[in-house]
Amino acid sequence: MSIFWISIGMGLAVAAILALSAVAFTLEYAVSRVVNLAHGEVLTIGAYAAYVGETNFHLNLYMCAVVATIAGSLAGMGLNFFLIEQFRNQKALSTLIATLGASLILQNLLLIGFGGASVSYSFAQGNLLHVGPFLWTVLTIKVMISTLIVAAIIYVMIQRTRIGKALRAVSQNRDLARVSGIPARQVVMHTWALAGAVSGFAGFLYGETVGTITPSIGNGFLLLSITAAVGGGLGRPYATLGGALVLGLVMSIAGTYTSSAYQLVIAFGFLVVMLLIKPNGIFVRGKAQMVRA
Amino acid sequence: MTGRPLLEIRGIAKTFGGVVAVADCSMTIREGTVVGLIGPNGAGKSSVIDLVSGFERPDRGSVLFDGVELIGKRPDQISRLGLIRTFQTPREWRDMSVIDNVRVGRSDLKRESIWRSLVSAGNHRDLEKRETEEVRALMTHYRLDEVRNRRAVGLSGGQKRLLEFARIAAAKPRLTILDEPMGGVNPVLGERIGEAIRELKRAGSTVVVVEHNLPFIEKTCDEVVVMDLGTVIAQGPFGELRDNKRVVDAYLGNDDE
Amino acid sequence: MLQYWTAILSEAAIFGILALGIDMIWGWAGDFDLSAYAYFALGVYMTMVLTIGKPTSPVEYILGYHLPYLLAVGIAVVIVVAFASIIGAIALRSLREVYFSITTLGAVWAIYYLVENYTPLFNGYNGVYGLFDPMGGGLSYAAYHYFFFAFCLLALFLVYLVVQRLSRSPFGRMVRAVRDDERAASVYGRNVFWAKYRTYLFGAGLAGFAGGLFAAYIGAFNPLDWKPTEIFVLYAAILVGGRGNPRGVILGSFIVYVGFVEMTRYIPSPASRPELGPALRQILIGLLIILMLKFRPSGIFPERLGTDGTEPKRSLRTLFRRRPSGEESSEGLATADATGGAQA
Repeated sequence: MSIFWISIGMGLAVAAILALSAVAFTLEYAVSRVVNLAHGEVLTIGAYAAYVGETNFHLNLYMCAVVATIAGSLAGMGLNFFLIEQFRNQKALSTLIATLGASLILQNLLLIGFGGASVSYSFAQGNLLHVGPFLWTVLTIKVMISTLIVAAIIYVMIQRTRIGKALRAVSQNRDLARVSGIPARQVVMHTWALAGAVSGFAGFLYGETVGTITPSIGNGFLLLSITAAVGGGLGRPYATLGGALVLGLVMSIAGTYTSSAYQLVIAFGFLVVMLLIKPNGIFVRGKAQMVRA
Repeated sequence: MTGRPLLEIRGIAKTFGGVVAVADCSMTIREGTVVGLIGPNGAGKSSVIDLVSGFERPDRGSVLFDGVELIGKRPDQISRLGLIRTFQTPREWRDMSVIDNVRVGRSDLKRESIWRSLVSAGNHRDLEKRETEEVRALMTHYRLDEVRNRRAVGLSGGQKRLLEFARIAAAKPRLTILDEPMGGVNPVLGERIGEAIRELKRAGSTVVVVEHNLPFIEKTCDEVVVMDLGTVIAQGPFGELRDNKRVVDAYLGNDDE
Repeated sequence: MLQYWTAILSEAAIFGILALGIDMIWGWAGDFDLSAYAYFALGVYMTMVLTIGKPTSPVEYILGYHLPYLLAVGIAVVIVVAFASIIGAIALRSLREVYFSITTLGAVWAIYYLVENYTPLFNGYNGVYGLFDPMGGGLSYAAYHYFFFAFCLLALFLVYLVVQRLSRSPFGRMVRAVRDDERAASVYGRNVFWAKYRTYLFGAGLAGFAGGLFAAYIGAFNPLDWKPTEIFVLYAAILVGGRGNPRGVILGSFIVYVGFVEMTRYIPSPASRPELGPALRQILIGLLIILMLKFRPSGIFPERLGTDGTEPKRSLRTLFRRRPSGEESSEGLATADATGGAQA
């Protein structure tokens, strides 16, 4: 019985990082109507930035987090400026393919820069603690707390500030927003900066939790973020959050019965089932309206 | 207004997420007629078209097309029975040539299997030649001959509307349902479209036209069906409707919304 | 020297066949399928486990017969198509555009991880090997080399004839119509799912066939040889050559394969960093895809318009002429319902 709770506990921790990544992914979709297949690479860039900060500049844990966040933010803005905005008037599928190209480029640049072997952070994990029925390390607890803080920040930004309102307007109808006086391009850029920052931070958390990183960790993140976002509700932060939670739990529970290599397979199975039953997402109301003919 | 019933809509209804789009709608379309379907915005006209052509499924009721129940059939199955509908905006196949657009409209579905397409070489060429001749004749008739080898996406709005008619004519349907064919159309083109509808009738198709342009309806249609609030409130020749209080109320009343 | 070129050209021919199959699914039907490489890999694996006989421990894999090579290829194609019929039935039923692509992306990675980790299938990470000169008979090494090259070219030519014919047929026309506007196609009596499904199966079959040829070409196959990202090279080839145009696709395959192989010969890869060369290649592929999409999405040979034969013949000069607006394809233009379904 306790294994079940422990696995739920680990599931929550994994879900925390996944939630951040998925929410960033969904924000990118919300504001630009783009499925960003280079999303995983933004995370990886953040993770490596923190690594550089730690090994080359000997920064402490918190500074490395900041470095990762800034790196992610720059990466997100760069992607938007050089790619997404360039393809704004093209079909969604063309933009998708372009982000695939960007993913290829970024991943291999990292490969050239850092080599294919895994590198590791050397932050201490801390002791194990019992929190209720769950078993966590101090580091894991820090991860989850910081996730909650970031989620709260995002909530405040989107719901309460003017920027948040502008984001929602641009997300619904960009031209209408522009006509209403909203500087759409700026809002889009700010959103990508935010999404990139969150992604970079998530990459750092991942490196911290797992310990080692390689240039290709983005692939797994991308797939899981897509699954969580599409499964929960693409373009909607709260629905995506819910999707991440469900996915994290599903994978963790499944992970106690099979080896971790199959977790991605299970996640994919979950995605397919979701797309077939409720393509708009679990937490989105309304009939599925994918295809008419 | 004789002629046997070709399309019989009996008591169909449809609610979309709490909004009643169609509520107990019934009408009979007789073979060989041109019927106008009019009514204020929100009356349910386009919904009825979607329900009849299989793009939406009614909550209840039945639709008989020459005795065959249409409800539950897919759009492609329904159109294979001889029913073709248009949409409010022209839907040409943009990256294909204009002549190919009409070819696909005309095409014999049986020739489109992979096997047939690869194997029957002999009469393939003769069939293609005959097809091209017929299609070119249609293009000339609709003044599209000049642009026949161009991509459909480059046509003007008016040409796209004419292309739709050429495509329909090539398909030789038994029933044509036109959803606001006059949308954004200048008067000269409007005349041409009216003529195209009469040609469809002469070629043997029954036509149902949804339109807001009442003078056009008066000129083109043998009979008119009026809808309001999801149901049919009157059916008959245009002249009679002017004196129908319910019809007048529907149009005037809804203008204040 | 000659052997070097025949080797590269053989490989380019095999990938030309694969590209023709993928182009059917993407260029003709408009479905951006990211799992096509799985069909190719399955074709390779099946051909091998049907010809190299029983596994000897610690190697393990399924089947393990000693069938004649051509028969094995035929069976492999059938198995690949059967596999594709399941995936296609699920993915094409209600998913379009971006959602379809995401699903296929997940599928190919899932299959990849499965094959890499579940060794009883195809020996996992280490892969299978042992297919040498399957049609060799008594030929010398060099002679077999040229024979196989001729065989690949012949296969490509035959596939080209079939695909070209299909492309210009009523079937080809109908698939493009379904691609351009599904609703309008269904209004004219076309079963959208069935059209895309048949195209999908045919394309998958070609991918499996290419895999069968590749098995003979390479002799050994493991997951490193078919990382799902390899499919971008093929899409780059199709983009460059001209999607929806079989001649263009073949041209693009040769340009990209030969061009890139040749180019990376001149980029030094220091012994201490062997991943440099391949990484640079991938970066160039990514750049190529982005640039082509942005500036010339229709490729060198754009998809042929079905005319009535009275157009002036296209010469090389007309290729580079700026097209009058009537001929510009809608390739780049965003449309209202381009994002694959109703969004919130």
